[in-house]
Amino acid sequence: MFTLDRRTMLRGGSALGATALLAGLGRRANAATETLTLYNGQHRSTTEALVAAFTKATGVQVTVRNAESPELASQLVEEGARSPADLFYSEQSPPIASLQEKGLLGKIDETTLKTIPAKFSAKDGTWIGGTVRTRMITYNKKLVADADLPKSILDFGTPALKGRFGYVKGDGFQEQVMAIVVIKGRDAALTWLKGLVAYGRSYNGNRIASTAVENGEIAMALSNNYYWYSLAREKGADKLNSAVYSFPGNDAGNIFNVSAAGMLKSSKNQAAAQRFLAFLVSKPGQEAMIDTTAEYPVLSGLTSPFHLPPLTNFQAAVTPADMGSASEAYALMREAGMI
Amino acid sequence: MPPLWLAVAILIPFALVAVPIAYVAVNAIEAGPSGILRDLIRPYTLNLLVNTLVLAVSVTILAGVIGTAAAWCTERCDLPGRRWWRLATSLPLAMPAYVSSFAWSSLGPAFQEMRGAILILTLYSVPLVYLPICAALRSLDPSFEDVARSLGHGRWRSFWRVVLPQISPALGGAALLVASHMLAEFGALSFLRVETFTTAIFEKYTGEFNNSAAALLAGVLMLICLPVAFGEAAFRKRRRFSRIPRGSARAVSLIPLGRLKPLVVFGFVTLTLLAFFVPLATLGFWLWDGTSTGQGIGRVVPALLNSVGYALPGAVVTTLLAVPLVVATTQFRGRLAAWSDRLPYLVHGLPGITVALAAVAVAITWVPAIYQTVLLVMLVYAVLYLPLAQSAVRASAELVPRELEDVARSLGKPPFMAFVLATLPNLAPGIGAALALVALQLMRELTAMLLLAPAGVVTLSTEFWSYTSDRAYGAAAPFAAALVLISGVPVYIFTMKTLSSR
Repeated sequence: MFTLDRRTMLRGGSALGATALLAGLGRRANAATETLTLYNGQHRSTTEALVAAFTKATGVQVTVRNAESPELASQLVEEGARSPADLFYSEQSPPIASLQEKGLLGKIDETTLKTIPAKFSAKDGTWIGGTVRTRMITYNKKLVADADLPKSILDFGTPALKGRFGYVKGDGFQEQVMAIVVIKGRDAALTWLKGLVAYGRSYNGNRIASTAVENGEIAMALSNNYYWYSLAREKGADKLNSAVYSFPGNDAGNIFNVSAAGMLKSSKNQAAAQRFLAFLVSKPGQEAMIDTTAEYPVLSGLTSPFHLPPLTNFQAAVTPADMGSASEAYALMREAGMI
Repeated sequence: MPPLWLAVAILIPFALVAVPIAYVAVNAIEAGPSGILRDLIRPYTLNLLVNTLVLAVSVTILAGVIGTAAAWCTERCDLPGRRWWRLATSLPLAMPAYVSSFAWSSLGPAFQEMRGAILILTLYSVPLVYLPICAALRSLDPSFEDVARSLGHGRWRSFWRVVLPQISPALGGAALLVASHMLAEFGALSFLRVETFTTAIFEKYTGEFNNSAAALLAGVLMLICLPVAFGEAAFRKRRRFSRIPRGSARAVSLIPLGRLKPLVVFGFVTLTLLAFFVPLATLGFWLWDGTSTGQGIGRVVPALLNSVGYALPGAVVTTLLAVPLVVATTQFRGRLAAWSDRLPYLVHGLPGITVALAAVAVAITWVPAIYQTVLLVMLVYAVLYLPLAQSAVRASAELVPRELEDVARSLGKPPFMAFVLATLPNLAPGIGAALALVALQLMRELTAMLLLAPAGVVTLSTEFWSYTSDRAYGAAAPFAAALVLISGVPVYIFTMKTLSSR
């Protein structure tokens, strides 16, 4: 039934060649009309809502390539000046900050930058926050009593919590390390990291860690707020074994991080790309996004439909821009034997 | 020496596979050896190296033993319902490793970490050993065993002395495939909290944004793969088996299992339950339990069509490139042939992201016209999965006597026609198996699809990834289920093809 003769093979090969040719022609044809190419690492449903609203408002089409943010950042570095991308929307700020450090991003319009608080954007104006999340502790309600919840992020580096918590060495973690460096100093951060290695359990992803907390495999996990909120949406908050909390007062663990977007310097559609970034932080753009994800808007005066605690409880001493691509955090993590 | 047409034909896959290797080399030089030494000689990285080796060796040995034993039972013993067990043992091939590991890890910490990883990946790898061994057992001429028995050897002795040496090329090829696959495995391991060398490479990309350092680590991974790839070749080179394939072997008489029978049946039931039905039940639970169930359901059919639409031509291209490689090494000799045949295995051990980024760098600089087109995806697919096709085709090619083509040529046929008329028809079962096996893997491929396909193409694997990223398991489940179902087709074809090649 599978005897392949040479003719079938040839036919298959030429069909394939023709497909490739057509695909190539298609690409060239697209370039003529006003279409933006967006590399997207932010949650897909959020970006889809944003893009739909943008196209409806401006008529500009957006072609979206979805993948994990760090992989897209690596891809953009390899593509360099020839990149077909006009825009990059990253789930976290460090991947886009790594492009900033390599000089691949263009400057965003001043009026766009001024729309939102400066703490959500790059200092040199090459990337801008789209949504805000907070670092929180996810805990299992059956395994930890509310009174026993740690009072500070630094408690996690002490033997008292041995075997009680999980952490994830990425996706918001570097920002956490940097915040401790900035607020408490390098030595404190190193001690903390060594404590994490000694007393905590490493998970390979925030989703996996929060699932482990939910299933009672571990009592607590250092995480980003939206993992729990999206689980709550999937299953119903009252049905969950886990909950989230933030530290009392002005603790170094109470930090926020942003999803961030920027324009590639090599973009040939800079005017349209600037329009997109302006739309990202506009009221309609923000509203489209916060309906789909448990993240805070960067624009003041809007409220998330998810029941998020007010953002004012969170540290403003360290901003995503201070953290950059968080390479210093890596040096420390290596010194602590964590990576 | 291979004829000219063949030499040209092996240069194409050789050149393609050389791309990621050259990319790794160039980047590694850029990163400089001093930095990498400092990076490598640390307890953390050495620990990863140990993990990588423990995983690869354990899974390869366990899958090798279980797969061979299962094949022996379904092919040579009077196991009741052998037809069904054949299919049941092959069935786990339809279950992508990231689905089964996610399912297993959600059952609790006992199934995580190294212990869990070895269990789950062994279950996943058993069919990759089982099927080629079945095919090899079937193609054996039982008269060799008869001779051994007539010389007074018992069943066990004749198995060790006669059967095992004859199936060893198939076993070696399968083991190599499993081992190099374990070196590259990432998605499944991340659910199981196991960190290997590949995890460290991903960390370089995703945490430090250091493509050069990542490439250097990938180079080290290739070095680990080197002894595996060439060891297997050296092991096989000492032997040569061929016979006129069809119809010459007589039927074998089945070995009675006797009192062991219930135990063996229990073993098969357990294997099938663990490897296939536990993950399947988990998918069902997601569907029932999740509130996102039903989201994106309208995309299942287009995603399915795209998955098939990419996997089929990809499988054809990959197999087309693999045939000359195999023929050059099984029918002829030569250094170029040997290297061209081995290099794909080295690249198979690389993480997908490294190969995909190599394709990005090379395509955008040298052939921008094909960047992010279907053609580039097909080429990357070939680079990633050539070894699967090679192993499948080799199983057939090993049995074709070299003299067959010589006869055709002595009758006045030019070399290429001699190949087409004499050798190619005998490769048909292997080619069929290669197409099915590669198509199967391509349907679940993710990294190259996300980075290199034309923007906006959705497949079953991209949708599954996308929804599980957002924790919408209910929405993800139909895509995973469709992936398992559609994978059943090549698994069925592959199983039937392998097991009917008598």
